[in-house]
Amino acid sequence: MAGRAATLAEGRGMDLDEEDEELRADEEARGQTAFEREYEDDHSWEELEEDEFGNLRAPDQAEEQRARRRRLMSAAASARIRRGMVRYVEVVLDLSRAAALADMRPLRAAVMSGVLQQFVRTFFDENPLSQLGLVILRNGVAERLTELSSSPEAHIAKLRQNLDTGGDASLQNALDLCVDALKSIPPYGHREVLIMLAALSTCDPGDINASIKAAKRQRVRVSVVGLAAEVYVCRRMTEQTGGTYTVATGEGHLQELMLSHAVPPPAAPGTSSVSLVRMGFPCKNPEAPGAAAFCGEACLLRPGGYTCPKCKARVAELPSLCHVCGLSLVASPHLARSYHHLFPVPAFAEVPAAELLGVTGCGGNQPDFAPAFVTGRTYCYGCYTPLGQQAGGAGRSRGAASLAAAGIVSRCPDCRHLYCFECDSYIHEHLHTCPGCECLPPHLATATAAAAAAAAAAAPAVG
Amino acid sequence: MRFQLEGLTVYFPYQFIYPEQYQYMLELKHALDAKGHCLLEMPTGTGKTITLLSLITSYQLAHPETGKLIYCTRTVPEMEKVLAELKELMEYRQRYFQDTAGGAPKILALGLSSRKNLCIHPMVSEEGTRESVDARCMKLTAPWVRERAGKEPDHDIETCALYEGLEGAGPEGRLDAGVYTLHDLRVWGRKHQWCPYFLARRMIAYANVVVYNYQYMLDPKVSQMVSREFERECVVVFDEAHNIDNVCIEALSVNIRSQTLDAATRNIGSLKREIERVKRTDEGRLRQEYQRLVQGLQAQGVLQEDARGGGDGDAQQWLANPALPEDIVREAVPGNIRRAEHFVAFLQRFVAYLRTRLAVDQVVSDTPTSFLASLQQAVAIEGKTLRFCYDRLASLMKTLEITASDDFHGVHLVADFATLVGTYSRGFAIITEPYDDRLPSVPDPIIQLSCLDASLAVRPVFAKYQTVVITSGTLSPIDLYPRILNFSPVCIASLNMTLTRDCLCPVVLTRGGDQLPVSTKFDMRSDPQVIRNYGRMLVDLAATVPDGVVAFFVSYSYMDQIVSRWNDMGILQELMAHKLVFIETQDVVETTLALDNFRRACDCGRGAVFFSVARGKVAEGIDFDRHYGRCVVMFGVPYQYTLSRILRARLEYLRETFQIKENDYLAFDAVRQAAQCVGRVIRSKADYGLMVLADKRYQRHDKRDKLPAWITQHLKDSHLNLSTDMLLCIARDFMRSMAQPYDRAAVGRSLLSEAAVNALDTAAPSAEAVGLADMQTDG
Repeated sequence: MAGRAATLAEGRGMDLDEEDEELRADEEARGQTAFEREYEDDHSWEELEEDEFGNLRAPDQAEEQRARRRRLMSAAASARIRRGMVRYVEVVLDLSRAAALADMRPLRAAVMSGVLQQFVRTFFDENPLSQLGLVILRNGVAERLTELSSSPEAHIAKLRQNLDTGGDASLQNALDLCVDALKSIPPYGHREVLIMLAALSTCDPGDINASIKAAKRQRVRVSVVGLAAEVYVCRRMTEQTGGTYTVATGEGHLQELMLSHAVPPPAAPGTSSVSLVRMGFPCKNPEAPGAAAFCGEACLLRPGGYTCPKCKARVAELPSLCHVCGLSLVASPHLARSYHHLFPVPAFAEVPAAELLGVTGCGGNQPDFAPAFVTGRTYCYGCYTPLGQQAGGAGRSRGAASLAAAGIVSRCPDCRHLYCFECDSYIHEHLHTCPGCECLPPHLATATAAAAAAAAAAAPAVG
Repeated sequence: MRFQLEGLTVYFPYQFIYPEQYQYMLELKHALDAKGHCLLEMPTGTGKTITLLSLITSYQLAHPETGKLIYCTRTVPEMEKVLAELKELMEYRQRYFQDTAGGAPKILALGLSSRKNLCIHPMVSEEGTRESVDARCMKLTAPWVRERAGKEPDHDIETCALYEGLEGAGPEGRLDAGVYTLHDLRVWGRKHQWCPYFLARRMIAYANVVVYNYQYMLDPKVSQMVSREFERECVVVFDEAHNIDNVCIEALSVNIRSQTLDAATRNIGSLKREIERVKRTDEGRLRQEYQRLVQGLQAQGVLQEDARGGGDGDAQQWLANPALPEDIVREAVPGNIRRAEHFVAFLQRFVAYLRTRLAVDQVVSDTPTSFLASLQQAVAIEGKTLRFCYDRLASLMKTLEITASDDFHGVHLVADFATLVGTYSRGFAIITEPYDDRLPSVPDPIIQLSCLDASLAVRPVFAKYQTVVITSGTLSPIDLYPRILNFSPVCIASLNMTLTRDCLCPVVLTRGGDQLPVSTKFDMRSDPQVIRNYGRMLVDLAATVPDGVVAFFVSYSYMDQIVSRWNDMGILQELMAHKLVFIETQDVVETTLALDNFRRACDCGRGAVFFSVARGKVAEGIDFDRHYGRCVVMFGVPYQYTLSRILRARLEYLRETFQIKENDYLAFDAVRQAAQCVGRVIRSKADYGLMVLADKRYQRHDKRDKLPAWITQHLKDSHLNLSTDMLLCIARDFMRSMAQPYDRAAVGRSLLSEAAVNALDTAAPSAEAVGLADMQTDG
């Protein structure tokens, strides 16, 4: 038995050398270091293609564009959903220890702050009637950075000054603070909490489930954008309160995810009572130095500003709540800007290349004033870019042609005009109205509108 | 869905079936058709249980000559789960038989467990341990107790009303067709005031599906009593059978310490007193027993059969033989132990001899043959006499009408030992150690009778039943099992998991953050650099992975050592900043509490790390699914304690008998444990988890090729030689990509509809695999 033990021990010794040698041999055989192996199979340059003019072209541009279109269409498809136009959003920015990591350059905190600033601007652009407040998570507590208000610049200025990181994150504290602030919001307002979470754990003083229940009771919709990974408690919180939970894979994705929260969310089913909201449309005061008056809550002496039609108090900017009588003060352009959420441009249908061959012009009702260089060919109604394969072959305008050749073509279902991809996304993302439909002769416009209405009426039956 | 599988109509209770389940059914059916054994590996989380149940019950339906399905599980919760799934399946199957006359075919399925789990007697079921419940029950239901209660109604002898109820009901006392979980059995028992345990024992003879513990099949003592009457055509399934060889070995191994011998001596004393008492009061009884023994065990068996007719289940239990060699039952008990006094004196001598064997100051290793020789020399006890020890003791206990069986544990162990030594001359080793190697200062002498050959216990099962199915999530390398268990399966298959996304991410960490190799090898495990590297890696992972992380160590002692070193280095404190830390201990209650708190910490978002030990209770039975286990780290290769003499004896035996090399077996055993540990985090296809194998030895081919295919399939070449920083990069990307929304129901790729399955079947059988592959690529 003892002899046996000795051989075993020796075996182990041999084992060791053998093993190390084997490893070394493995390494040598491959002749690479680990980091090289990482990229072994990744010949990304081979996917690049040249078009007929020698321009580089990304491989699957059409696929990329389709993905983008899909997102647009999903927005358009949900157009018939009632949306919360007057939103009260508390944005929670996690500046705990995890925000100091550098897996997003230069720092997570810097990236988050940048994206958040952009979000604030876009938010007020999309929701001029809404208000937003900022809360910061740091050192285990939730700090209020700005109260709910409508001034993007004030939020951004405050945000810029506060980017220190450290300590733990506490979701419960944040939730309690936000829900407390949102409690007093009038019933027509949509209560939302949007959390940008870098941390993967939450250090809470009590039971977070109680806070989630409280939030649900107060009809607060909690959404989370995570930076690192899926955290179970966030998933549950968002599911219970009807929010969304997404995790960013990188800076670009983070921005995209945050901006998707700028679009008003569908109204919660419980809030269906339609009520009129009292609003004031104040008139602007002269900017002359002689017209200076004490403005706003802070009582700053300054010219300009607006006068509340109800109590004649002066406020510095619009939209805002009157600090004296609490009336919502807006300007009519704000209302108009919110309007497009209710009546979005219909989703354009993609036109297959084969079908495109049989079409000349820009589809639809050909206008007379098309420039001479496009006559006789297919072109985009928006920018006169030639569309389809034959356009590229002619080589009239190199840049535009190569761009169009790789892109996809779509058609407005109402006015039947063709658009290139760039125009399509411009119309849906920024313009919010189809120029083709606007330019239709009145009799045609009513006819198409009627047809569209009929189609819309038929749609639910089909669905 | 209902579909055709090579002419067999299979009822499957879901709308879709995974391709691997289909493949699994196919293999299983081939084995059933060939009436042979099979060995199937399919990862957990792919619905192994329902696939098995669905195919075998369908097969029973189509081929009524097939016997029972005997489904062996390791734990009671698993048993309940199997029965619950079977219930669902049966309810589902009903709908296809609504139109046929006579309704759906009825089956009877039930689970069988110990009295502890089934007893509904108000007093007895309150008892704490299994042994005490058994003893209390016997006190109330033993035949002589009942007889006396019948004869002397005025003496107020307590019996069990439930047992009497069942006995009174006679042939009426039975279950209706259906599926009965343990809970259902208790409910049925309460309703009719029948004892569920004895009802279940009675009904398994008529059941179509029986679900019970491994022991009931493998442990010869129990299996003789429970499973003896099952017909040859039965289909036996061992689920989660990756450790079946260890179960077999445990069933035939006995350890004797000095405490055991003390207890045995006390038992012998009380046996003596009992004999004296009985001699004075009722000598006839002893004489009767003597006569019976003269006639031999065969006759005694007949006697038992008669007694059984009268409903005596317990006497049986005592008279079961742990060894079951064919010749023993035909032989008469040797003359020198037929008389009760002689037998007790014999036991006394034997115990005294064992005591001298125990008094050693160095390790002694014996074979049964040499042990018997020295026994003969020292106290003139023959091997043949030893062989009958167990039966003789059981018979004596019955004659003396002793019901407190739990008090006689010591002498029972000695009798077990004697019988095993007397019966087997090969495949066993007797090793006497004066102290535990890990604690040399504490004298703790122990005689270990260790079974070296797993095939001994399982051989009767393979021999008796027509089809034995051995299945688990990790049976790799699959060709080793037939050799260890010494049987020849007709089907061996290892099936993969088809996934819609890469939700498994196994990686091998070979170096720490400072690029030095990490390992738990003997010469490296206490190196502070290695310990620090391991600690840093865990801290960084805890900062990268959300919710639950599970860390497995190779042994309790190693875990103690490394955790205390981490504490000294301040690593534990850093870890606690990210996640709470819980530790498995050898105490079950403490561990349960720790697990409970671990789950709560994961639920509320605080996040937690669970330190556990490979081969421990947690590694074998607890799932860390979903957010409870987003990452699992296996620190080191969980080799068995290689200096253990039992292991060495076993390795030697394996080498000589089955030509399995020591290193092969050790690596196989270590890697299957590791695979079992890391497999804890994936329990379904919707789940995802990072699996870190943190030891440079995993990079070697001899370890890697022993991992199950469903892990190696996801093990990328670039993930084989990572350092901590690279691991973190991978972990971050993995966690992010898994958090993205995905399409759960990718029909056509990982799910097959009824139509698709039927289409598969119509294709030529040889083209089936190809068709399946095409289907997957198309999807």
